[in-house]
Amino acid sequence: MRILLAEDDPLLGDGLRAGLRQLGFLVDWVRDGVAAERELRTHPYAAAVLDLGLPLKDGMAVLQDVRRAGIVLPVLVLTARDALPDRIRGLDVGADDYVVKPVDLNELGARLRALVRRSHGQPQECLSAQDIVLDPAARSVLRSGTPITLSAREFDLLHTLMLNAGRVLSREQLEQHLYSWGQEVDSNAVEVHIHHLRRKIGGTLIQTVRGVGYMLQREGRPT
Amino acid sequence: MRVLAPPRSLQGRLLVLLLGLVVSVWLATAVTTWFDARHELDELLDSHLAQAAAILVMQQSHEAGEQEHEVDSPTLHRYAPKVAFQVFHEGRLALRSANAPASRMIGTGERIESGFRTVTFDGNAWRVFATHGAERDVQVFVGEQMTSRTAILWAVLRSTLWPMAVALPLLALAVWWSINRSVEPLRRLGRSLAERDASSLQPAVIQGAPLEMTPMIDALNGLFQRIAELMESERRFTADAAHELRTPIAAIRAQAQVALGEVDAGLRRHALQATLEGCDRATRLVAQLLTLSRLEAGAEGTAIDVDLSELVRRVVAEEAPPGLRKQQTIEVDAANQCRVKGDATLLAVLTRNLVDNALRYSPESATVRITVQTSEAGVRLRVEDSGPGISDVDMKRLGERFFRVLGSGEGGSGLGWSIVRRIAAAHGASIQVSRSPALGGLRTDVVWPLCSQGG
Repeated sequence: MRILLAEDDPLLGDGLRAGLRQLGFLVDWVRDGVAAERELRTHPYAAAVLDLGLPLKDGMAVLQDVRRAGIVLPVLVLTARDALPDRIRGLDVGADDYVVKPVDLNELGARLRALVRRSHGQPQECLSAQDIVLDPAARSVLRSGTPITLSAREFDLLHTLMLNAGRVLSREQLEQHLYSWGQEVDSNAVEVHIHHLRRKIGGTLIQTVRGVGYMLQREGRPT
Repeated sequence: MRVLAPPRSLQGRLLVLLLGLVVSVWLATAVTTWFDARHELDELLDSHLAQAAAILVMQQSHEAGEQEHEVDSPTLHRYAPKVAFQVFHEGRLALRSANAPASRMIGTGERIESGFRTVTFDGNAWRVFATHGAERDVQVFVGEQMTSRTAILWAVLRSTLWPMAVALPLLALAVWWSINRSVEPLRRLGRSLAERDASSLQPAVIQGAPLEMTPMIDALNGLFQRIAELMESERRFTADAAHELRTPIAAIRAQAQVALGEVDAGLRRHALQATLEGCDRATRLVAQLLTLSRLEAGAEGTAIDVDLSELVRRVVAEEAPPGLRKQQTIEVDAANQCRVKGDATLLAVLTRNLVDNALRYSPESATVRITVQTSEAGVRLRVEDSGPGISDVDMKRLGERFFRVLGSGEGGSGLGWSIVRRIAAAHGASIQVSRSPALGGLRTDVVWPLCSQGG
């Protein structure tokens, strides 16, 4: 899951990025409001963690403008401002969650997963398709009840496809979901990962739409 | 006798004062009237007595010896007993009024001085005029009861005092009503202050307040406003301080948690290093907050002669290591002794903040130059760097609590400048911030006026 972290404090930003990476998130870190807005407008992030006291452009203003532009990604506001009016205003302007510093990294991760899940209309904790059940929190995948081992990239690919079940995702879209900045992407990386994934979870689940991309059939809720 | 304490209410006080004044004026008028009327009355009645005596003398001189058989004259009016007269001819009573005694009204001897006397006979006080004819054989006494004079005076006085006695209660009522109306705005102010919410600092507005109350209400509202501003600045400071402390604490927590969960030794080490760095930052922030709060509480330290050059060399030596790690060039020109009066600890804090700022916000390999000089203007501490400097707008805002130049990428608290300004102000030093012509970055001048000789 690729998320945007907007935090101007170098120590805290570094810590959050490292912590969220440990939890399996792909993190892009920006340090000012203008950069945050630019990234949110150009990349399909699964969610964003937004500090309010950002240089160049206040977090609240970024949020407002992003929402006006029709960008609906889940935004978690992470701030030191804990006064009730601040929290109310943050939620009113378009934040999906409001967390006051300091925050436990596991809690932050859980909140982000919940936000992403809900934004895809998925109320349950685990995602499922055919005989596959994916647990985003534990980062585990079961096939017919048996755990199977996936690489981080394969897991993220499956997770993205399951979240977007019923929608065709192009190779470029998948790449944007799978790689944060500065990570080298081979031209056929997505194909390679799809190939490995099909070997592990069965060939029928992921369908290739020739010339367009890949899609996971929307069906069955967990039984 | 115990002196009555004045009434505590303004209304009662005014009432007592006004009515007392009115009664006093009235009484004074009555007394004046009394004496004035008595004087006029005496003059008039005495002249009547003298006139009557003169007539009697004239008459007796003409009729001497003719009516010696008829001594008593008849009483012709019921008021007649109030007046009496005696006529003596050659020592013998020749004529008298019915109510006059047989003996002389005044004295017993042959020689009687002409004039007025007040004597007592028949148990009454009489005003008597004595006179004699030209040959001194005729003596005339005309007397008048004093009570009649007193009665007239009392009558005059009564007519003066009666209206007052009747008017006084009415006047009291009118005065009470007027005062009551006049102090109503005061009462309203009192009520509005008593009824308002204890935490409300809205200005008090009293409709129809008299001119005399305006300064009071203005002063009160001024006080309300100052307290409101003070509370607002306190509230902002607390909120800002909490905000500023939360961020390093959040960083420490995040980094520690990362270190706990990290399997890669290098990354774990990095996280732990960052944790320590966060602790240092929080410590510095707390120290700065404490310094600032002490400065705001008015602690100015003890003023002694301090050699600024020596102090600057020491502080720069302490602050240099982080700069040297960033390959920065640090130049100190503080060879000559430059004495300023002040608190050594606070001056060190000031210098440390300036040097720390210059090193922290200048990039790697930058130059930071610190000079201490004595000139005619005074002792000058100059800190300049070859860093990016700051915009004119930001220069004006330096020193606002928690104001931080944005985009610097450094985790400062924005308190350093507040502290520098406070300390400088406490020492009577002036601060100037400008762009350094020599190095291109920020230049800060702190100038102390010269110490007086022997000071």
